[in-house]
Amino acid sequence: MTPDQIIEATLFASQTPLTPVEIARADEGLDVVTVRDALQRLRERYDEQEHAFQVYQLGDGYQVLTRPEFAPYLERFDSVPRPPTLSRAALETLAIIAYRQPIGRIEIEEIRGVATASVLRTLQDWELIEITGRGEGLGRPLLYGTTDEFLDHFGFQSLAELPEPDELPVALRNTIPQMELEPVENGAGNGASPETAPSP
Amino acid sequence: MSAVPNRLPSQLRTEPFVVELDRFQGPLDLLLHLIRAQDIDIFDIPISQITKQFQAVIDEGIDRLELDRAGEFLELAATLVRIKAQLLLPRHDEEEWGEDPRAELVRRLLEYEFFQEVARVLSDAEAERRRHHGKGYVEPRPQPVAVRGELTTTREDFLEAAIELPEHVPEPTHLAPIRVVTVEEKISAIRRHLRRAERLLFSRLFRSWQERQHVVAALLACLELAKQQVLRLEQVKRFGSIWIFAGENPVESTQNDTAPDPDAAKTEGEELAAVETEA
Repeated sequence: MTPDQIIEATLFASQTPLTPVEIARADEGLDVVTVRDALQRLRERYDEQEHAFQVYQLGDGYQVLTRPEFAPYLERFDSVPRPPTLSRAALETLAIIAYRQPIGRIEIEEIRGVATASVLRTLQDWELIEITGRGEGLGRPLLYGTTDEFLDHFGFQSLAELPEPDELPVALRNTIPQMELEPVENGAGNGASPETAPSP
Repeated sequence: MSAVPNRLPSQLRTEPFVVELDRFQGPLDLLLHLIRAQDIDIFDIPISQITKQFQAVIDEGIDRLELDRAGEFLELAATLVRIKAQLLLPRHDEEEWGEDPRAELVRRLLEYEFFQEVARVLSDAEAERRRHHGKGYVEPRPQPVAVRGELTTTREDFLEAAIELPEHVPEPTHLAPIRVVTVEEKISAIRRHLRRAERLLFSRLFRSWQERQHVVAALLACLELAKQQVLRLEQVKRFGSIWIFAGENPVESTQNDTAPDPDAAKTEGEELAAVETEA
C-alpha cells in the first residue's frame, strides 16, 4: 500500500470535501505536505487515464467529483442529488455578503433597496451564510458572512475567485459602468470553474 | 438633461415592462432597467423623465404587490421627486448647490448594478458546479410514507365535500320561548279530532311543532286513551305510519271539548291555544 493509495481510498469514501489535515489523519506516515503532493499526482493520473472523475478543490477541501461532461447522463437518475439553484434575490444577497462581510441586514437592504430578512433566513438554512458576530450601534445587529458551504456551492477554492473585490463601486463613480464591469465578468468566468487545478 | 431623447414618453406607453412590476427585484432594479433600456447616461440621468416613467410603471402594477414591496417602490419614487425638486430650485451660485442632487442616487445605482453583475457571475458558477457530482449517493429506501405534508385529497374528495357543505350549514332559526305542552292538552286535541273524523294520523299531533316534547306528550296521550279504549292504534308495518282510530268507548262530549268544535277549520295550534285559555 502506497500513501497515494491510502489518500485515494480516503477521498473515494468521502461524500464531502476533505482538507489535507483531515486526510492526513488516515495514517501516521502522512502529513499535509505529502498529502498535497499525492493529490497532485492523483490529479495527473486521472487526467492521463481519462477517468470520468477528478479531484476538485472546494474551499480548503478536496473531493472526487465527476467531470462536467457526464452530467447529462447522471441527471437521468433520481438518486443523484441536486443542490438547490438560488433565486436572483438570494444570489444578489450572497454577492453583497461575499464582498462586504461581515455585514448586517440593514446595510444589505440599503444596497438592494428591498427587505431581505426572509432571504437571509433561507441562506442560513442552506448554510451558505452564518452569523459571524454582532455589530456596533443600536441593538448590536447580527453580522453575516459566507461559509465553506458557500465556496462548495459555487465551486470556489476561495473568495479571491470573486471578480474584482476591491471597492469597485467607488472606482466606477467617475467612469462608464459598462466599460468597467466587462473585464470583471470575463475574469470570473474562468475563475469560477471548479476544474481549475488546485493550488498546492 | 438636454440629452434626453424625445421618443421616450411615447415608447413608455407601449413597452411591455409597464405591466410587469413583479419581475423586478425592487425599485433599484426597475430604475436600472429604465436607464439601460433607453441607453441613458447614468451620470446624466434625466430625472424628470425617469420620475414620470417610474411613476407610470408603479401606478400600473402596484395594486398587485404586497404592502411592504409597494412601500419600497413608493420610497424610491419619493426620492426621485425630491431630487427633481432640488434640481428645479434656482441656484445663486455654484457653491450653494454643492454636489449634484443626483449623485447619491447614481452611487446607489452603480453599487447595486455591480452586485447584480456579481450575482450573474455566481449564477454561472453555480450552474457549472451543479454539473459535478459527488460519489453516488443513493437515498436510503423511502420509509413507509414519511410524507412531508403531501396532499392526499383527490379532486373527487374535494368535490364531494363541497357538495355536502350546504347541508352542514344550519338554517337560520328563530328561537322563541317554548310553551310547555301537557299530556292533557294532547288528549283534548285527540278527542276533538276523533269526533270529526274516523281516523287520525299520529304524526299530525305534533307536525306543526317539530318539538320533542310534543311528540312525547302526543304519545303519552295516545297510550292513555288507548288504555281507556277511547281509541286504538294501528301500524301496518314497522316504522310505518301510526293511525289512530276511534275505540270502543266513544268520545263523549264534554263542555271543554265541544267549545272550539264548530270552527273546524282551525289549526291544531289554535285549538290548543283555545284549550289553554279555557284551562
